[in-house]
Amino acid sequence: MSGLSHIMRQRPFALQMSASKVANVLVARWASSQDIAPMDLKSILARPEEVEQRNKLSGKITVPKAVNLSPISGVPSDHIRERRVRIHIPPKNAMQSGTDNLQTWQIEFDNRERWENPLMGWTSTGDPLSNMNVQFGSKDEAITYCERNGWRWYVDSEQTKKERVKNYGVNFSWNKRTRVSTK
Amino acid sequence: MIRAPLVKALGALGSPTHQIASRAVRTSAIVAQTPAKAPDTIEVFVDDIPVQVLPGTTVLQAAAQIGVEIPRFCYHERLAVAGNCRMCLVEVEKSPKPVAACAMPVMKGWRIKTNSEMTRKAREGVMEFLLMNHPLDCPICDQGGECDLQDQAMAFGSDRSRFTDINYTGKRAVEDKDIGPLVKTIMTRCIHCTRCIRFASEIAGVDDLGTTGRGNDMQIGTYVEKLFLTELSGNVIDLCPVGALTNKPYSFVARPWEIRKVSSIDVLDAVGSNIVISTRTNEVLRILPRENEDVNEEWLADKSRFACDGLKRQRLVAPMVRMPNGELQAVEWESALIAVAKALQKANGQIAGVAGQLADVEAMVALKDLINRLEGETLVTEQDFIKGSGTDVRANYLLNSNIAGLEEADAVLLVGTNPRYEAPLVNTRLRKAYVHNELQIASIGPKIDLSYSHDNLGSDASLIKDVCSGSHAFSKVLEGAKKPAIIIGADILERSDGAAIHATIAEYCEKLKKPDWNPFNVLQNNAAQVGAYDVGYQPGLQRINQAQPKVLVLLNADAGKLTREQLPKDCFVVYIGSHGDNGASIADAVLPGAAYTEKQATYVNTEGRAQQTLPGVSPPGMAREDWKILRALSEVTGTPLGYDTLDELRTRLEDIAPHLTRLGKLEKASFNELSPKTATSKSISGGAIDVKQKELREYFMTDAISRASPTMAKCISAVNKQQRQDEAKQSVAI
Amino acid sequence: MTKYLGINRLSKLFQIIQEAGGLKQTYLKLYRNDDLKIGTLVGIDKYGNKYFENPYYFYGRNRWIEFPQHVGMDYDGSQIPAEWYGWMHYKTDLPPTRDGCRPKYKWIADHSENLSGTKESYMPYSTTPPKVEAWDPKAKK
Repeated sequence: MSGLSHIMRQRPFALQMSASKVANVLVARWASSQDIAPMDLKSILARPEEVEQRNKLSGKITVPKAVNLSPISGVPSDHIRERRVRIHIPPKNAMQSGTDNLQTWQIEFDNRERWENPLMGWTSTGDPLSNMNVQFGSKDEAITYCERNGWRWYVDSEQTKKERVKNYGVNFSWNKRTRVSTK
Repeated sequence: MIRAPLVKALGALGSPTHQIASRAVRTSAIVAQTPAKAPDTIEVFVDDIPVQVLPGTTVLQAAAQIGVEIPRFCYHERLAVAGNCRMCLVEVEKSPKPVAACAMPVMKGWRIKTNSEMTRKAREGVMEFLLMNHPLDCPICDQGGECDLQDQAMAFGSDRSRFTDINYTGKRAVEDKDIGPLVKTIMTRCIHCTRCIRFASEIAGVDDLGTTGRGNDMQIGTYVEKLFLTELSGNVIDLCPVGALTNKPYSFVARPWEIRKVSSIDVLDAVGSNIVISTRTNEVLRILPRENEDVNEEWLADKSRFACDGLKRQRLVAPMVRMPNGELQAVEWESALIAVAKALQKANGQIAGVAGQLADVEAMVALKDLINRLEGETLVTEQDFIKGSGTDVRANYLLNSNIAGLEEADAVLLVGTNPRYEAPLVNTRLRKAYVHNELQIASIGPKIDLSYSHDNLGSDASLIKDVCSGSHAFSKVLEGAKKPAIIIGADILERSDGAAIHATIAEYCEKLKKPDWNPFNVLQNNAAQVGAYDVGYQPGLQRINQAQPKVLVLLNADAGKLTREQLPKDCFVVYIGSHGDNGASIADAVLPGAAYTEKQATYVNTEGRAQQTLPGVSPPGMAREDWKILRALSEVTGTPLGYDTLDELRTRLEDIAPHLTRLGKLEKASFNELSPKTATSKSISGGAIDVKQKELREYFMTDAISRASPTMAKCISAVNKQQRQDEAKQSVAI
Repeated sequence: MTKYLGINRLSKLFQIIQEAGGLKQTYLKLYRNDDLKIGTLVGIDKYGNKYFENPYYFYGRNRWIEFPQHVGMDYDGSQIPAEWYGWMHYKTDLPPTRDGCRPKYKWIADHSENLSGTKESYMPYSTTPPKVEAWDPKAKK
């Protein structure tokens, strides 16, 4: 009996784990065919109050196109007129090979003075915006955000990734300079 | 070349697609740089998501195409595949064992599972083995916080190990090696990924690092006790996935989460490498490379990386004016500017400006505008170039084949240049072409070590004529090449027959040029040079001697080529710059400017790419951005310049040369421009061609910042020490 | 009877004025100390501070100090030397004049009052070198 209840307790968790994967597969395989509407398994398994909550959140607020939030954003006018925003993709840390956090666009304000606090040696700054690190899914979203807030912006040019063919065999090629001599 | 069974298996299948695939695998092995030639793509499934990839793509790359990152230690995009860490093991359906994703090329229809039970178990096992011998010293390790092993142990490792040290033998411990003043080794932390070895032998071309022993006793080292001295040694710090190789000057200085990173541009050579400045408490702590496929790939030369401590020494922190007793005295900005303005007003237009190595385009334009408003004409750069109208045509002074383009070259002639030290990252491109593209290289100049084998044709200047007339043996190579390139060092164009050399080669290049390929290259060695020519500065200090100015403004001019004796007695010298060096010591008024980490400024690199630096820290003391100083000065002289903000100044730049504001984009010189027929009358006078930087020790200190850097001084003494040791060993052997 | 009419208080006041040495002196003493008390003189330290005690007053107010005339209004609790500190703060009932077991070493430093706000006050200073080293035109390489 206790064994069964144990399984019962485990089950929903296991189901949820696999559900997202199953959904992925379904979408990947059938999304193109018109007659079958893919169903989100998450909503089938969700509790009614969850569904209600989701429906509430899915409502949209339409906003007129050109909006200037700067008068109500609370940002001092000095920081609106004089700041310049750089929109960029964060560069990869040369020390590491991971690329997980490099898929977003970020905004960054022009760097203002920082100094060492004489009391504790911590860094002080008079620039609250220097710590504002907002991430965006695309360049355009970032531009829209900056324009709404009245900041001047510029986009740092995007780097192109080069495709290269890697081959283990060239290490052992007998007539090429790629041959590895030392190891 | 390729695993024989694999090729056989492919050939045996016999279907047309398979044949194509196998051919593609083979050709891609030969022409590693031209993936576009592969005829077709094949479909594989990564985690059940279909991916179209080129034949010969590895499993790891195929996964990366859809954003699935397979963990790795030994694999690096820009290095050869080693396949020895086994962290990238993944399950492939119907394969009995997991495969190493970094080395295995995909086959059609493979179903790769990067998150299956088997894959996870394989990763956990590898991690368990690695951690068995890896010390738990993360709290005192400099790599802590930006360590691949740390991150991957968290993501893919198990929370416990099955290994119990029943014999109490302890973890493997390896003695640390002294490989120089830049790289600190803690060899116990090494996980034997061999990335450093591969970097040294493939990219740097120095076969110094290697492994000894095998299994648990394997060690990375230099075989015999010696220093790992190359101009690119700092990159092994970045490559090391653990804390075995760390930055010596930066050791125990900061943690990665404390620092702020500012993307900027390096100015210590003319390559314009993209960098990330790490700062904390208004102090530059270290400089790391930033990926830019077109400029520096992912590497950074040692001077650019380690000379940043020179930004804290020998700084000009307050304006200074020479007092009647002949000594420079620190004064307030107001009195310094008034003193300079008075001299400028008295000069009656006899004003000259000199732009040095580190001058930025904004300041150069501001200086030019100011001097022109005061009716001065003479504006020159410290570095000389050919006489006549050489700088009118942009293609005359650019690296027209592009830095990235040189990778595709198949025959290169170096004339009076040592790219290894003048532009280390151009040299890595040449070496890359040498390794992967069978590039043939010859040089005219002294015998130097370029880190790859090349033909030294001799050092006589008349050889240039021989080659360019087509009579030399190497001319045949150049003429037969698909993408030939001739690279001229900027220094030899300073010679009296520089114009003739330039014209002769330019004429020959006219013959060599292909559609979409310009073989004529001038390799500049100053970051300011191309920008200065672009905004209309004239090369050479001779004009200063001719003009005999009453006021001379030195903008970062620190090369020491100009002495007090060459100037008229009553000449008032103003120095604007960041460091107290040759320029400031001959000046009558010193106006402290900002260094490249302290200002937003444009620099144009040797291929003509305008890029901007961003300020990481604020200028020390009373120092200000250079163009702002000139703007303030113009106000005091009563001839205010028409820009108050950087944006307005950039607009002015756009008026002068529109490409200067297209930051990051390469503005190629137009193709037909290249033909300076004006100076052909002169002939090459002969005589030996020399380069300034022949050996590593000459590389480290070339400008005001690196001359002030204690780390660079240590490098020079390390090179000298190594040489003394080598000589002692040789004398013993004899 | 005298108690009810408050005559005993009047006589105390007379006593105080008498001790102080006249009306003017009483006024000055009140001005300086904000208090008028009489008590037995327990001791005088080497700085001229007079210590009084009168158990008539409530605990906490029954021991007090009169600072010497020359400090004027610039008196301060930190002018009480260490040996009298204990008696003033009721850590001990034995004033140093009557306590024979107080250590008396040659090396015991002289008492000094709190110097905050004066020229001699302690100013901390950084011992770390500056981060940026300025160029000195006089230093020749």
